[in-house]
Formats: sequence, structure tokens, C-alpha cells
Amino acid sequence: MTAAFTVVEPVMGTVASITVVSERTERVERAIAACVARLRDDERVFSPYRDDSDISRLRDEGLELGDVDPRVAEVAADCRDLRERSGGRFDAHWRGWFDPTGYVKGWSTDAATRAFDELLADGEVEAVGVNVGGDMRLRTAATSDHVWRIGIAHPTHEGELLATVEVVDGAVATSGTSERGAHLVDPRTGVHLAGPVSATVIADDLTTADAWATVAAIAGIDDLDWMPVAPVASGIVWEHGRTRRFAGRVEVSAFHDALVG
Amino acid sequence: MKKIVYALMATVTGLVLLFSYRTSTVPESTSALADAPSSGVATVPKTTPSPSASASSGSSSTSSGSSSAQTSSSGLTDGAFTGQAANTRFGPVQVQITVSGGAITDVQVPQYPSESGRDQQINSRALPVLVKETVQAQSAEVDMVSGATYTSTGYRTSLQSALDQARA
Repeated sequence: MTAAFTVVEPVMGTVASITVVSERTERVERAIAACVARLRDDERVFSPYRDDSDISRLRDEGLELGDVDPRVAEVAADCRDLRERSGGRFDAHWRGWFDPTGYVKGWSTDAATRAFDELLADGEVEAVGVNVGGDMRLRTAATSDHVWRIGIAHPTHEGELLATVEVVDGAVATSGTSERGAHLVDPRTGVHLAGPVSATVIADDLTTADAWATVAAIAGIDDLDWMPVAPVASGIVWEHGRTRRFAGRVEVSAFHDALVG
Repeated sequence: MKKIVYALMATVTGLVLLFSYRTSTVPESTSALADAPSSGVATVPKTTPSPSASASSGSSSTSSGSSSAQTSSSGLTDGAFTGQAANTRFGPVQVQITVSGGAITDVQVPQYPSESGRDQQINSRALPVLVKETVQAQSAEVDMVSGATYTSTGYRTSLQSALDQARA
């Protein structure tokens, strides 16, 4: 098997780790540069922390969606849809202005990873994984038998894993309170989640996985009502030492947990 | 709490029924798909499953040969059992159950239905496996680590950072 190498770049207030299973050719380097450039350009448009971003101008200058970058209208439509499907557990407007921060990272990572489309199609790249701040899109060429083995960080035991999951082509996202304190707010109440809570979701793409991991973390371990309607493959929710897992829209292994816990 | 348990029992029954529905049986190697059996499963209150649950339990996952489960009063023998993959109209279904004290204490679905072939590719491997369940818990080697968003500062102390350094 071809060796893998990893490139690390700061972006969106966090770090992108791009792991490529391929030779390190000029073509591959160009794809990596294009991938990072897309992430940075989306940050320029969507960051609420930059006064000159389209999101900030929408908020501060009373602009309409038609006045700003067309990507904003696309994301706004997605967020409206997600708010409805998640029963309000996700809401980019809960603050009274449009802040799609919880959505854009996954969406942007999917878009950025398309820089490798051609290389994957012609087999020059066997597999590529783009991990932005702990959420990742994983791609594998149809000709390859590569399997991504992903660790899910333990929410409270630093340096340890809670679980592992194997993915050929898909995405893994984790949302919760563990890494930088309580930064999750239930949009239905405006209350900060006390935690600790951690939810990991596996789906076809990171837009979906990231959004529904946020929904799962907000919902908490006692609420899996959203799960049967979510377009996701599987996942795990952890809260105060309890875990629940689901796959194929059914809960798995809860029998044991429920009886013992 | 009771309500939850009943709901879960319903789920288990549903799974077992799917599992029992075995029109076809292309035996498959279970080693790649099945989770390692949980160890140290606690004794649980009697939750006698329906006899049919045990009837079609397939080959034992711990031995290479195929053997039928011996029936006890509850109809179940202690151990971990992996059924053969059964093709249903929803797709292939394969269930592993762990029996302790004559009762089902754990249900795993190493392979389960999905609506499209593309989903199946992801699904067949994408059930998160708890590290404490795996045989090689300590030596779990991973390519990447997923965790709740870290800042650029938090990244330095993350497992992902250690992996990246090893592969830079």
C-alpha cells in the first residue's frame, strides 16, 4: 500500500489536517493547496468574527441575501431546511440574526475536498481525509481497498478514545461540550449546555454528519427522537459516562446499557 | 425508565424477527464485520425473550464450526452468537447477540438494512465500536481522531496533533 502523508494548515480558528494516501506529486500538492484555499475563502465569507465577512455585513449593514456572496443564500436555504427537519434542535437564527457557524465547517469541508475529485477518479490518489477541527470528510478511490480507521476522542479522558469506527467513503463529525467548554446552546431555550456531552455521527458527507452531530448533542442522551428521520448512517452519543449507539435507524446495544444503567 | 426498557425490548424483538427471517443464506465471514463480543457483561434481570429468538441462532462466533444453541429453560445458552447474514427485502441483515444468565444482554447488528447499495458500503463498517469492547483496546491504531471542535490552541494537545506529527 502507498504511504500516507499529512499536511497541517490553520483555518477557521482551528486546524485542518489533510491526510493523503498517494505519492507526493505536484498534482497532489496543487489539490491540497486548492482544498485549503476553498476553506479559507469560505471563512472569509462566513466568519462572524470578521467585520468584513458577508455574514457580518448582513447582520450589521442591513443587507439582503441578494447583496452578498451567493454561497450565503445557499447555506441559508440549507439551514432553514435543517431547522425544520430537526424539530428546531438546530437553528441558525436563534440569536436573532443569521449565524450559520455550526453548519459552515462541514459544508465547506465537503466543498474543499472536491479538489481531489479528479485525482481519486483516475487513481493517482488512493484516498484522502480532510479533518477540520475534529470533523472529517473521508474519500477513497473506487479502485482502492483502503479503509479509514477513525478514533472518537473520549469526551472527558484526554488522550483516550471512546470508540473507533471504520469508514470507506463518508464523513465523521463530533459535537459536544468537551474540547472548549460549553459552546453549545439549545436554540429552543437559549440555554447553554452544561455537559459534558458528546455526539458523533457518521454520514455520506460532512455537511450532513456535522449538522446532525450538533442536533444529537443538543438533544442529549435521553432524546433520540430525531434519529429515525435523520439521513445518517450511524452514531454514538455519550453523556455522563452513558453511551447510546444507533445504526441503520435503529438503536444498537442499548438493551445492555438500559438494564445495567 | 420502564417505558424505555419496553421500547428497547420492542427494538430487540424487531431485530431478532428480522434475523429469524432467513430466506437465503450465503454464509459470510463474520470476523471482519462483527464487533468483538462484550466482555464482563453484567447479570441482568430476567427478560425472557420469545423462544423463537433462540431457535435460529446461527453459528457460534467463537468457534469455527457451526453448532446449534442448546436450549435451557429460557431457551438461551450463555455466550455470543452471530447469525448468518439473511437477505431480506430491506437488504442483508445479520445480528449478534450476547446471552448471559439465560437472557439477552447485548445485541449487535454488524450488518443491517439500508435503502441503497451506497449506504450499505458505509453502513457495513460504520457502527462505532466502543473501545472497551474491543480485544485490542489499548493498541487501537487509528488514522484520524474525531472530537468536539478544538481551537488552534487546543489542537496542540489533541490526539490528532500527535498523529499528524508522526506522519509529517
